[in-house]
Amino acid sequence: MNATNESQDVELDLLLEGVFRMYHYDFRQYVRSSLRRRVHQALLALKHTSITSLLDRILHDPRAFAQFLPHMTIQVSDMFRDPSYWLALRKRVVPHLSTYPFPRVWIAGCGAGEEAYSMAILLAEEGLLARAQIYATDISVESLAEAKAGAYQLDRVRSFSDNYFESGGKASLSDYYVTTSSRACFVPALRERILFADHCLATDTAFAEVQLVSCRNVLIYFDRTLQDRAVGVFCDALSPRGFLGLGDKETLRFSAHMKAFEPFVAEEKIYRKGERAT
Amino acid sequence: MKRPGEDRTGLYVLIALMVGGGFALDVATHVGLEVWVLYFIPLIVSLFTTRPIAPVAIGVMCASLVVAGYVLSPAAPVEGVAQISQVNRALGSVALIGLGFVGRQLIATKVRLAVQDWVNEGRVLLSERMRGERNVHDLGRSVLSTLAEYVGAQVGSIYVANKGGNLMRASGYGLDAPLDGKANFVAPGQTLVGQVAANASILVVYDVPDGYIDVRSGTGAAKPRALVLAPTDADGAVNGVIELGFFTPPSAAMNALLTSAAAPVGIAIRSAQYRERLADLLEEAQRQAEELEVQQRELKITNEELEERGHALKQSHVELEETNRQLEEQARALEMQKDQLSSAQGVLRKKAAEVERASRYKSEFLANMSHELRTPLNSALILAKLLIDNKQGNLTREQIQFATNIYTAGNDLLTLINDILDLSKIEAGKLDLTFESVDLARLFAASKQRFEPLAREKKLELVVTIDPGGPVRMESDSVRLKQVITNLLSNAVKFTEQGSVTLRGSAGPRGDVLISVEDTGVGIPADQHHLIFEAFKQADGTPNRKYGGTGLGLSICRELVDLLGGEIRVKSAPGEGSTFTVLLPSRPNQSEPTRGTTGTGAEKPNGHQRADVSLAPVEDDRAALTPGSRVVLVVEDDRVFATILRDLAHELRFQCVIAGSAGEALELVRHLKPAAIILDMGLPDHSGLTVLDLVKRDASARHIPIHVVSVHDYQQVAREMGAVGYALKPVKREQLVVAFDRFEEQIARKARSVLVVEDDATQREAITKLLGNDGVAITSAPNAEEALAKLDGETFDCVVLDLMLPGTSGFELLDQMAKSDKPSLPPVIVYTARGLSLEEEQRLRRHARSIIIKGARSPERLLEEVTLFLHQVAADLPEDKLRMLREALDRETVFTGRRILIVEDDIRNIFALTSALEPKGAIIDVARNGKEALCRIEAERPDIVLMDIMMPEMDGLTATREIRKRGRSSSLPIIALTAKAMPDDRQQCLDAGANDYIAKPIDVEKLVSLCRVWMPR
Repeated sequence: MNATNESQDVELDLLLEGVFRMYHYDFRQYVRSSLRRRVHQALLALKHTSITSLLDRILHDPRAFAQFLPHMTIQVSDMFRDPSYWLALRKRVVPHLSTYPFPRVWIAGCGAGEEAYSMAILLAEEGLLARAQIYATDISVESLAEAKAGAYQLDRVRSFSDNYFESGGKASLSDYYVTTSSRACFVPALRERILFADHCLATDTAFAEVQLVSCRNVLIYFDRTLQDRAVGVFCDALSPRGFLGLGDKETLRFSAHMKAFEPFVAEEKIYRKGERAT
Repeated sequence: MKRPGEDRTGLYVLIALMVGGGFALDVATHVGLEVWVLYFIPLIVSLFTTRPIAPVAIGVMCASLVVAGYVLSPAAPVEGVAQISQVNRALGSVALIGLGFVGRQLIATKVRLAVQDWVNEGRVLLSERMRGERNVHDLGRSVLSTLAEYVGAQVGSIYVANKGGNLMRASGYGLDAPLDGKANFVAPGQTLVGQVAANASILVVYDVPDGYIDVRSGTGAAKPRALVLAPTDADGAVNGVIELGFFTPPSAAMNALLTSAAAPVGIAIRSAQYRERLADLLEEAQRQAEELEVQQRELKITNEELEERGHALKQSHVELEETNRQLEEQARALEMQKDQLSSAQGVLRKKAAEVERASRYKSEFLANMSHELRTPLNSALILAKLLIDNKQGNLTREQIQFATNIYTAGNDLLTLINDILDLSKIEAGKLDLTFESVDLARLFAASKQRFEPLAREKKLELVVTIDPGGPVRMESDSVRLKQVITNLLSNAVKFTEQGSVTLRGSAGPRGDVLISVEDTGVGIPADQHHLIFEAFKQADGTPNRKYGGTGLGLSICRELVDLLGGEIRVKSAPGEGSTFTVLLPSRPNQSEPTRGTTGTGAEKPNGHQRADVSLAPVEDDRAALTPGSRVVLVVEDDRVFATILRDLAHELRFQCVIAGSAGEALELVRHLKPAAIILDMGLPDHSGLTVLDLVKRDASARHIPIHVVSVHDYQQVAREMGAVGYALKPVKREQLVVAFDRFEEQIARKARSVLVVEDDATQREAITKLLGNDGVAITSAPNAEEALAKLDGETFDCVVLDLMLPGTSGFELLDQMAKSDKPSLPPVIVYTARGLSLEEEQRLRRHARSIIIKGARSPERLLEEVTLFLHQVAADLPEDKLRMLREALDRETVFTGRRILIVEDDIRNIFALTSALEPKGAIIDVARNGKEALCRIEAERPDIVLMDIMMPEMDGLTATREIRKRGRSSSLPIIALTAKAMPDDRQQCLDAGANDYIAKPIDVEKLVSLCRVWMPR
């Protein structure tokens, strides 16, 4: 049993290394246990019995990689997921943002763009969108394409609406979308202020100075080192006294950068960059 | 921090001075003056030192000085004093020594207490510093710094045991080595650190050799003098090692401190490890929770898809039943038609028999008649000949001329009668053939001999030749063959004024014999070629025709050649002479029907012969199929032909599997999914048409191109059923190569092409967008002319045709397409906005596969139909296109049959809402106020409610609250219709329990959006 585990670990290492060298997606510092589960799912879905045979296929067939990648970057979100977080942003953080002439917000790990559009709607209702810039980044180019489209299955929109109202939405979510028979498409005006780009928290650095980073349910998949690196990148990107919002299951408590931040709305995992932090 | 046991040298100097002073004083004074008592002072002072031996030593020294002082002091002035002094000094010495020993005990106790204090203080300090939730690294650092400062160590590190029992350096103090180096990992029992952990005891090392850790500062480096390694433990199990380096030798007190700190530090380490583990586990649990959520969501999606599929399946089941019913009806209708047909057939058969009888009567009559005619004619001819001879010489020149005319005319009449007799004999089936070996050279020589004089007379050159390598002998009826050659030569000579007539024998394809008669005569216009073989017809049918003759010669020729199993062809043009070619088999073909004997020309079934050859299957590639190769399935029971096809397939780099029966063929199609099929029609178990039909009805196989090869002409039917090509047996190799080439093209051509014929540019673009995807190339044409040109130039898989075109209409285009000689016309889908009459529809039906009238739902149907005709395998469609197709089909199913309750008192709004939603297929109920609405909800069970707020009797807010209070309808979606008047209207609606709201005046698009979103699935 031990030998099997060990050989599987070696296989997993080789897979991650191969993926990184070949396609420049760096999962090497993602949490092992989670990686193992995901790779296992990918094996089932792609009908392979061993990681090595999967690696063999991925290395020689980019289409197989395209099928494999979604299993690794799987991420779900809703618009205004965890409404209390968004309410806290609206009530507590936005007043600070509005003091900046050009507030900039970074949604790291935007997935299919739900949070980016939520942020745009929130800023629009607070009268900030016209002068704001939202950066929405993700590691997966496929996700970004989906995010740019901004069209979601109709049946998801019901929970979006509920969340929206709960998060202190000032109008009706239907003001921001039009429907086709199967999808709700968010209006282009929202997208105008969002810049979608691919960005890898494992390898890339900060690219702009922002006042708010919202990175939810992403760090959870990283190991401690990578978490520290990512928070470091956020710390670099944030202007002094900028805000960092994390997912409800994430915390800065064990982070190397813990001292750089102070809790701002502790129960919603919203932190503020400390005064002396660089 | 001061360590216990450190001595103050000043104290000792003081003691020495005091002892020295006392001694000097004692020596200076005379005996009896008991100055030695002063020795007690240093002795008492020595109690303040930290060395237990000091009071003893001082006591003994003082005692000896007391004795020495007695000896050295001057004698006492008073007698007897010396004795008393002796006693005193003796007692004093004893007291001093005794006091020294008491002092030793005192100091020892004091020192022990101090050490204990120091140790305790150290522990307290340590536990203070260890307090708080720390990770192992932080904890190690504070333990080290506390200890090092407290005991005065210059360098230190702490090792913590991990799960595997290995010791890892957790932290360092004043250390010049990185934390993550190789030296930070120690296996149990290895190195001093490991040894200490294994022995669970403190180890002190003095005189640390070179190469050990240096103590570094900004200005220099030095080696520590001594090392102390101490284990830490939790509940008796060693879980770490503390290593400290000193410049001074460590004291025993420190060992005590390290020993007593082992447990608290060990426990602190353990709790820190627990905490870290707990944090890890917590994170892991949260991660799993998140992943679980992801999986749940995926599961939900899968579930929904399954449900959707189930729904579609049910739908298709219903459709299937409907189709079944229709099929049954059609079957019944067909049965009726069949009955009618068979009765009609009976009538026909009777008629045919009558006709045949009549024809036989006619032929018999003609045969008899000509015989009856010939007898008197013969006498007339003989008599005329006698008259011409004019043996008596009693006739004038003129009279002889008359007789000559009678003779010539009579001869002509006789030829005519003979010809008619021949023809009627053939037609009546009374001509018997005798096949024998015919020497072609002799036959030709005879013919030459016969026509030589005639030719010479007309000054024509007569050439008779047999090609080198040409046939010498053949199996045929020599009499009839000779008759054919004679007829042809006679014609040639007759119609040629100058030049030559050539009779040529040569070898034809497949060992046939070619006999051609070529002349340089008048020639025959192309449009009359078909006439010359008709009985009683000549090319020049005008009354003043130049050449005599009955015109029966060529028709007799054709009939005879037919009988002999060959064919006759003509090549001629006016002024260029004519060439008649007779193609005859070198031996009579047994399988070929001979009309002379059967009379009707029906084909003899030769299944018996085939059954024999299909007993042994032809060897094929089914055992050696390589994945990814192109496999062609040959359905053919004729062993020889199957082998030919197989070899040809191999030559053209196809793999080949051969099926000898329809059953096997279908089995193989299902399992092998061949790339192409070559299909014979006459199979032992079923007709090839059955195979064709079943393959084309199988969705997963219908894209496979099928080429039909048959002796029967089922071309039209097969093509309609979807065959890509048709070839009549016997098939030439070239035809087969062409068929394979077409397969190749179809396999290679991934992109399917569609021609869109539509004059309106917007429509054209819309259709192009609708149909376009990666696998489909769309060509468009604005009018019929361009469409035809494009159809000529390339092959399309499907044509979408608008009927209303400028110039040539769609109808005419269809007719022209049908008339064109292209081997396979693509299926045509008529897509038109025009209403059609029944006749028009029937007219279209002949050529078009389906007709779609433009309307709201038509794009989906067009997409469906085109997809069908493109023969794209479902799996080949891109997934998003599939989804789109499915979604397109689902369009507005969101609304179909769903009940929407409009609660509104303003009639204009009711009207506006109804007219927006009803066309989508929704069933609209109306309630005029809240109370009514509640009743309606109970009665009608609507799927969604549109609720106005301001209403009489019961307003919308109250009604909404009421609905939410009732259990059954608590999840009913409610969309509030608010007037914009009040700013907090919105919040009130939401608070009352509305799911969403829309402000008046109502934007219909938005309302539809909201209904789509909130309508329960």
